[in-house]
Amino acid sequence: MTTLLYTHPLCLEHDAGYGHPECPARLTAILNELKTGLFAALEWREAPEASLEQLTRIHAPKHVERIFARVPRHGHYAIDGDTVLSPQSGEAALRAAGAVCAAVDAVLKGEASNAFCAIRPPGHHAEPHQSMGFCLFNNAAIGAAHARAVHGLEQVAVIDFDVHHGNGTQAAFEAQRGYLYISTHQAYIYPGTGRREERGIGNIVNVPLPANAGSAELRQAWIEEIEPALRAFQPQLILISAGFDAHYLDPLAGLNFCEEDYDWLTAGILAIASEYCSGRVVSMLEGGYNLQALAASAAAHVKALIAGSPTA
Amino acid sequence: MYEFLQYRVQDAMTPEPIAISPKAKLREAEALFEIHDFNGVPVVDEQRRLIGILTKFDLLKAFSFDFHTLVPHYDQIMEQAIETVMTPYPASVEPQLPLSRLLQKMVEMRAKSLPVVEEGRLVGIIAREDVLKALRRAAIQHEAPIHEESRP
Repeated sequence: MTTLLYTHPLCLEHDAGYGHPECPARLTAILNELKTGLFAALEWREAPEASLEQLTRIHAPKHVERIFARVPRHGHYAIDGDTVLSPQSGEAALRAAGAVCAAVDAVLKGEASNAFCAIRPPGHHAEPHQSMGFCLFNNAAIGAAHARAVHGLEQVAVIDFDVHHGNGTQAAFEAQRGYLYISTHQAYIYPGTGRREERGIGNIVNVPLPANAGSAELRQAWIEEIEPALRAFQPQLILISAGFDAHYLDPLAGLNFCEEDYDWLTAGILAIASEYCSGRVVSMLEGGYNLQALAASAAAHVKALIAGSPTA
Repeated sequence: MYEFLQYRVQDAMTPEPIAISPKAKLREAEALFEIHDFNGVPVVDEQRRLIGILTKFDLLKAFSFDFHTLVPHYDQIMEQAIETVMTPYPASVEPQLPLSRLLQKMVEMRAKSLPVVEEGRLVGIIAREDVLKALRRAAIQHEAPIHEESRP
């Protein structure tokens, strides 16, 4: 079985304005890396549009309607100081969420053991009633809800290693059985949530890390908290909110992960997945704002996905 | 160094320094830093009572990552009132304090400058450069000959 790569050209058309760090070049940098011979094992697939039904499993229909109504015909519309819409943002967001749902379908049907969705806009800050933090719709939560609703799964886990806490994913899951959300992130930066005490109904595991934490702290978090939480939950599918902005060269935060950490962490997640759910993992891009570091880190992550694909 | 021991803060400080209102904007403080070589500017009320100090460090701090936005916005931050980011109740010294004691205090606090206050009113500011200048002055006047004689 192989590793799938879901993406769509429209994901390059979402444009948050001149100089905005969440820029199309991020995706281009990753895709260029994944087009090289090292990644010949990847099977590329075009992301479909998410349906309204898929979006509204997580987001209020009125909110979805409002976001699409604000997509400008020309220029930009700022939802807040960070989050900006351009004319094709709505279509890009539909492809982003659609990629994750399609990847979930493919992996659960056994077409591949795992998948990476190279998508933007990102999703983990998007709450059920509020788009924010560069994010319009919550791709990870939408994918998890899709797995439960359509495929009848009962236990879906999301692991989020973006440097910022996924307040949106937490908000979507914190009162819902059947979901586990685990996040490592830098403490005391945006969006301010993700404290250890925020535990939902026992299904939220927040591991805030102090500024300058790196490989050692990540490994400690994995061994002491993440791996035990995953084992206790016995996931039937694992989704990954793969942000690469905890990298030591990222300009938007202050953690010190390196490329090897993403390889190591991905391998660890895949080992748990093969133990509990036949290796079924769907990963998706969140943040990461230094283009070189982002491309190298995403490549390390995808390489580990390919290596961990059972018969690869 | 004997001469230096005679100096008081009032002998080396900049008297009646430029100060700024707590309601002024960060933009105005930044303009002052741009023109003058200040480390920090004292923040005073209408009666020139010292209520805070705004340093370049405080200004940098206003731009550090926090939970309000993913990316700090320059214009928005520069429109903030000084009182929101200044260091309130700052350490200060009296004009009569011996300069040697001020030096100790500066070293302990790693301060770049300290406001000088008399009866609650701001009367001066004293910076590292002022103390260095006073040390040099004291040495030139009285210690150069000792140095000469100690040569073989």
